[in-house]
Amino acid sequence: MTEHRTGTQEEWLEASRALLAAEKEHMRQGDELARRRRELPRVPVKKEYVFETEGGEKSLADLFDGRPQLLVYHFMFGVGYRVDEDNPGCTGCSFVADHFDGVRPHLNGHGVTLVAESIAPLDQLLPFKERMGWGFPWVSSGDSGFKYDFGAAFTDDQQENGAEYNFSPIERPPPQETGMSAFALEDGIVHHTYSTYARGVEQLMGTFRYLDVAPLGRNDGTGSIWWRRNDEYEMEAAR
Amino acid sequence: MTEHRVGTQEEWQSERDELLAEEKKLTHRGDELTKKRQELPWVEVEKDYEFETVDGTKSLADLFDGRSQLMIYHFMFGPPYETGCTVCSSIADNFNANAPHLNGGDVTVVLVSRAPVEKLQAYKERMGWDNLEWVSTGDEFNRELGFLNTEEELKPFLESGQIPMTVEKMAELSGTDVKGYVTEGPGMSVYTLDDGTVYRTYVTTSRGLEEVAMGYYRLLDRTPRGRHEGADEPIWLRRHDEY
Repeated sequence: MTEHRTGTQEEWLEASRALLAAEKEHMRQGDELARRRRELPRVPVKKEYVFETEGGEKSLADLFDGRPQLLVYHFMFGVGYRVDEDNPGCTGCSFVADHFDGVRPHLNGHGVTLVAESIAPLDQLLPFKERMGWGFPWVSSGDSGFKYDFGAAFTDDQQENGAEYNFSPIERPPPQETGMSAFALEDGIVHHTYSTYARGVEQLMGTFRYLDVAPLGRNDGTGSIWWRRNDEYEMEAAR
Repeated sequence: MTEHRVGTQEEWQSERDELLAEEKKLTHRGDELTKKRQELPWVEVEKDYEFETVDGTKSLADLFDGRSQLMIYHFMFGPPYETGCTVCSSIADNFNANAPHLNGGDVTVVLVSRAPVEKLQAYKERMGWDNLEWVSTGDEFNRELGFLNTEEELKPFLESGQIPMTVEKMAELSGTDVKGYVTEGPGMSVYTLDDGTVYRTYVTTSRGLEEVAMGYYRLLDRTPRGRHEGADEPIWLRRHDEY
């Protein structure tokens, strides 16, 4: 016999209806927060970052790859974050990154480019990417300071004397932490729109979770059908 | 110039801090709902459903594939469809990406549709969903969960003259007409196997699928046993090729 409470179909239904009402309320609160995210003021990014990519050196604007929105996942890899010799990348970040290729065709098809960024040099990232079977772009921010400026890495001084993580003071931050930042490109100017850290990253797994933190949200309000099968975005574009 | 409000770093930070407080509240409320889901009574599944698979006929208990929890996605792919539903396909993209971690967390994910198994298999290969089993079922299983509609039930909708454009487009993209398309309904049902008995624990549809079908924690939050990450429990998390 199971130790969990069992019930009749009727009892389950009654409990499920009450739960559904609470779930709907929660979902609508989530919709409201997605709306508030998009209302945040946008901050122009004035510093010029250089990234090492499979296509050579690129600027932050280049990383948009022709789309108006960019999500950058701050992947903890090397530079104070090495599990062991065989595993230079963070396990939790690898777990997060496993979701990217499932949603990437849909995001790309909806004007959002998704990339991962690490401080470690590209020649260390690529073998791990191949081992994991990932297709998403993974770039090295190297010594550009990008990961530090967006709150997901901490200098020796910060590690010693404290810094902010997830918008709260932290006494002795580790060399790196998890996070994701969102950017918009308009008239050639990159704007920082949103960053999330800690459990905020949990929310990012899945197409709508991603779109909720992207500057333009889930849709443009027209209710138009933008989603396709993962191999149809390319097929349609080729037509 | 951008039409959106541009601000200083300080302005952004002050509004971001306010938003963060709300985001945390929402996350914590989500944790409470997860607990409530896990407290739902379990209902014993008494019927012997049959599923056609590439390895022959299987029972619901067989679909657990050695694990204690089972998530079934009721994928809209009815007999008249030429190809699987587009929205369901985006959901399966997520399931497929999540499956190694879910399996590692003692959850098996299976897609169920009414189209014959050969048709499902061909589409599965096209989509590259190597991590998922896709089985074919008769009418009864979907019908009893509310994911199969009768002609009579659909009549008012079909004759209303107000078929949403989305539905027409989705039907077209699946190679069927509106009636054929909406005969199937999307949904997810969750089960646990305890002492050889199968219990149904949770069912969701509509926007509930948004919450679930995207991301492993959204999924684990809806399984009978949840995340399994209590302070006294071993860390189950591994890289996907390490399980």
